[in-house]
Amino acid sequence: MKPLDPRLLRYARSVRGFLGLGAVLGVVQTIATVAFAFFVSRAVVSVVDGHADRLPGYLVGIGITVVVRSVLIWGLESLATRTAVRVKSELRGQVVDAVVRRGGGWVAKTGSARLATLTGPGLDALDDYFAKYVPQLILTALATPILVVVMFSQDLLSGIIVVVTLPLIPVFMVLIGWTTRSAQARQWDRLAKLASSFLDAVSGLSTLKVFGRERRQVRRIGDITDEYRRETMKVLQVSFLSGFALEMAASLSVAIVAVTIGIRLVEGSMLLPLGLFLLLLTPEAYLPLRQVGAHFHAAADGVAAAEEVFAVLEEPNGGRAVPAPPASSAVPSAGSAVGAVGLEVRGLSVAYEGRSVFDGVDLDVPIGEITAIAGPSGVGKSSLVAALLGTVEFDGTVRWAGAASGAPSPADVAWSGQRPGLMRGTVASNVALGAALDRDAVRAALDTAAGSDVDLDAVIDAGGAGLSGGQAQRVALARAIYRVRQLGARLLLVDEPTSALDSETELLLVAGLRSVAASGVAVLVVTHRPAVAAAADRVLTLTSAGLVEQGRTAGVSA
Amino acid sequence: MTDSIIRTAQPPLSRSWRGLAAGALSALSGVALLATSAYLITRAAEQPPILYLSIAIVSVRLFSLTRAVFRYLERLLSHDAAFRQLATVRTTLYRRLVRVAPAGLGRTSRGDLLSRVVSDVDALQDLPLRVVQPLVISGLSALAAVVAVLVFSPAAGVVLLAGLVIAFGVGCLVATVLARRSERDLAGLRGDLSAAILDTVQNLDVLVAFDAVDAQLQRMTDLDSRLRTVALTRASTSGVVTALIALVSGATVLGAIAAAAPTVGHGLLGPELALVALVPLAVFEVVGAVPVAVLAWRKVRASAARVDTAAPAEVPAGVVLDDDSDDAAAPEPLGLGGPGAVALRLSGVAATWPGAGVPALPGLDLEVAVGERIVVEGPSGAGKSTLASVLVRFVDYSGSYEIGGVDARSVRPADARATVGLLEQTPYVFDENVRQNLLFARDTSTDAELEAVLARVGLGEWLESRGGLDARPGERGALISGGQAQRLALARALLRGFPVLVLDEPAAGVDPDLADALLADLLRAAEADGTTVVLISHVPVPSALVTRRLRLVGGRFA
Repeated sequence: MKPLDPRLLRYARSVRGFLGLGAVLGVVQTIATVAFAFFVSRAVVSVVDGHADRLPGYLVGIGITVVVRSVLIWGLESLATRTAVRVKSELRGQVVDAVVRRGGGWVAKTGSARLATLTGPGLDALDDYFAKYVPQLILTALATPILVVVMFSQDLLSGIIVVVTLPLIPVFMVLIGWTTRSAQARQWDRLAKLASSFLDAVSGLSTLKVFGRERRQVRRIGDITDEYRRETMKVLQVSFLSGFALEMAASLSVAIVAVTIGIRLVEGSMLLPLGLFLLLLTPEAYLPLRQVGAHFHAAADGVAAAEEVFAVLEEPNGGRAVPAPPASSAVPSAGSAVGAVGLEVRGLSVAYEGRSVFDGVDLDVPIGEITAIAGPSGVGKSSLVAALLGTVEFDGTVRWAGAASGAPSPADVAWSGQRPGLMRGTVASNVALGAALDRDAVRAALDTAAGSDVDLDAVIDAGGAGLSGGQAQRVALARAIYRVRQLGARLLLVDEPTSALDSETELLLVAGLRSVAASGVAVLVVTHRPAVAAAADRVLTLTSAGLVEQGRTAGVSA
Repeated sequence: MTDSIIRTAQPPLSRSWRGLAAGALSALSGVALLATSAYLITRAAEQPPILYLSIAIVSVRLFSLTRAVFRYLERLLSHDAAFRQLATVRTTLYRRLVRVAPAGLGRTSRGDLLSRVVSDVDALQDLPLRVVQPLVISGLSALAAVVAVLVFSPAAGVVLLAGLVIAFGVGCLVATVLARRSERDLAGLRGDLSAAILDTVQNLDVLVAFDAVDAQLQRMTDLDSRLRTVALTRASTSGVVTALIALVSGATVLGAIAAAAPTVGHGLLGPELALVALVPLAVFEVVGAVPVAVLAWRKVRASAARVDTAAPAEVPAGVVLDDDSDDAAAPEPLGLGGPGAVALRLSGVAATWPGAGVPALPGLDLEVAVGERIVVEGPSGAGKSTLASVLVRFVDYSGSYEIGGVDARSVRPADARATVGLLEQTPYVFDENVRQNLLFARDTSTDAELEAVLARVGLGEWLESRGGLDARPGERGALISGGQAQRLALARALLRGFPVLVLDEPAAGVDPDLADALLADLLRAAEADGTTVVLISHVPVPSALVTRRLRLVGGRFA
């Protein structure tokens, strides 16, 4: 692990200012530490030597340095915390920008849960990294050298002892770190499996109960946890050695410095004030490094979180960029006759990662009619919808309302996908997504989508939690209908709107779709449900070779 | 009953005393190292014969070694004790979960919440490691230091005692107040922001299609800047505790010197003054662990409270409790009689979902004969899932329910479940290979039997493509689709050979155009085995697959 990733300076500008100001605070804090050791040693010596009249002056000195040092400790730590806040906000913003720039396909590939964790709780690991680790890193880089120089200037031997033992600490830590890593790597799989097995037993509890195997798990959990302890302790025996080396080096050198000073004092080659001063400074020289060691794990989490962010930001652009859909060439004339072709698709082909999904699809979606698309699973029905929406690349032409040049612009299209995709808020705010909120219109849209039973003010949590699957599906359709009615979209694309509905509700919803079509909208619905297909004006079956018309059905004509 | 959980988490003294003793010895060695060093140097300045110093020199060297050695031992011993306790904690809480699962777990039964409970259970380890251990050790070393200083200089001892009390008190109080304020101010905003991020990442396609990306980005920017403003204000208080302790520590050194100075030459020797002056410095290093322990305590308590909510000691009415002991006899299915005999008979069965006020089933009559395959249809909220939970004895009922002519209440719930099995809506796939995922249903099965049953449920090709029974379906079944998980679960149920099988919405998590094939395969496989089937479904089921259809509306058959 790099102590401080240079990319942090590049992506998060606040870090630079922090390092600069932190260095100044660190230097002043070190000077205060030296002064404190000086005044304490002089105060003790003045009393021992019988110069008690000098004591008050030294005590005042102690008081001042104590106050200054406390203020600086507070200053450095709160500065570090403020930096953590700023850095998190900066990195979060960049990840969100990257997500929006690269689009839904990239998100699916990267994993939406991973991205959400990364930008939310993941970044919080930086709190301790900045608040605890980086200040000590600054002090290690500044305070330790200053203290070593001070010691050298006062006493060559003590300086040499410290300079010789200090580098031993990082050397030992690196050596032990290597050993630990190979020990951990050997046991990693085993430990991970042992760690996850309790999660497995709890998560699968109701399945275990169905099979009457839950009691047997109790002993197994005990056994596995015990095995986990034994294996983990093997690793810990080695990894705690690095802390041991640190403590040992620090306390041994205090002992060596104390004993050599003591012997020289007896010989008379050194005076007490200097001896005490050096004794007080020696542990301070090791303190920042010890703190760095103590906060190593907090730091490792923070660095891992930052690296994950950088990995996302530096990832090559996740394949293709989504082509910007061409701007709409013409607003469809308000009086487009029912039955006139609204959407005209010729020779449409979609390939995914070099593999053809379907080829040469010709399709007309007339205004005022419902056109249904059926077909076996995996044939690309949803890809067809995505092509019409302009979210995947395709070959062929898509024209809207006979306009000379263009595919439908986003403003022409209302869409509801297989996944409801509801967001935190109320039902009303979800239905009115991207448009002004008009409660009466929202109610009307819900009623059309067979959602009379859904309360406008029902609260939806993140990820759509709070509604049943069937309710969410109808709210999603209502959202598309609202866009048709409020913003004048004239092409309605609907993907499996009734998969979670019982047959009565399904009939209501189909009637609603018919009324939307009748208001002068071209409706394209992907479905496998007979009731929906029966209500459509035309049913087409998608195969890899194109669309096959099953013929006009007895759909209610508008 | 958070207290009982916290009591479980703390290892008994017989287990924890070694770690505590090692920790105390290490801390005391640290204090003694500085004290004896100071004494050595000050005494040496009086230039006694070097022989007089040998005890001091040996002590300095000894303490420098024991500090590091005991610290290493402390970490090993306390971790070992904590891991041993983890086995107790896990099995105790698992028993509590087993007793009430799944109906008594309420909303916690959702997968993500359960995994949260698991991490909360494991977080209870912090109680011995990060709360009790540092508090006990700093308390003991503080006490020892006060006693030692009191012996030499009562006045300085009183100053040290006062300083320590203030540091303990102020440290705990300020740390608690600050943590509470920051939780109060920040938790809500953090939750809002991460929910907004999750929504954006998951629903990017919807936001693009509805022209709502910019509005959503603006919302997130607003939330982020509000969070940043509050967090920056809060940041100014971070470091306050560390600074306060440094301030009190310095003031105590100052006070100890001032208090002890007048007695030098009147009972107090010079070297002893050095000891009195420097002991406070060393002991305050140990006190720094107290506020950290206080914060860890808050987290442990919150985890314990969440575990308590998940597995409450007081179970809501309506949950069927499993009070079998760990080594109760294996569940045995009840005899049902030949085809045509009554397998299940419900008369006037009413049931209320635990925690809900209104009964989901107000009074239901139903008879299912051996060999029948009935489907219970109806809109969501009609009481279908409650019926399934009553049939497998997860939710309690009033009225009469007989399995094979025997009152369901008169047999162990586990035996009832061995007779009436359940195919859950989201069956759990364990993080093991396919073989282990099947074997727990009948552990005497041969590989050939397992392969045969997988072929029967339509997973033959899948198994081949994955490379056989050793293939792993991935963490939480990540590598298999919802339909394949249902098939795998049916294979388990067939292996077990439940006389009656309840299928709860098996097609709910399945691609719409795969649902029909899945239902057909499930029912045909059950039919071939002669299993009596109760299929719960809100989507229409083809008539050919079942022998009888029932429609449940508002908790009654229509």
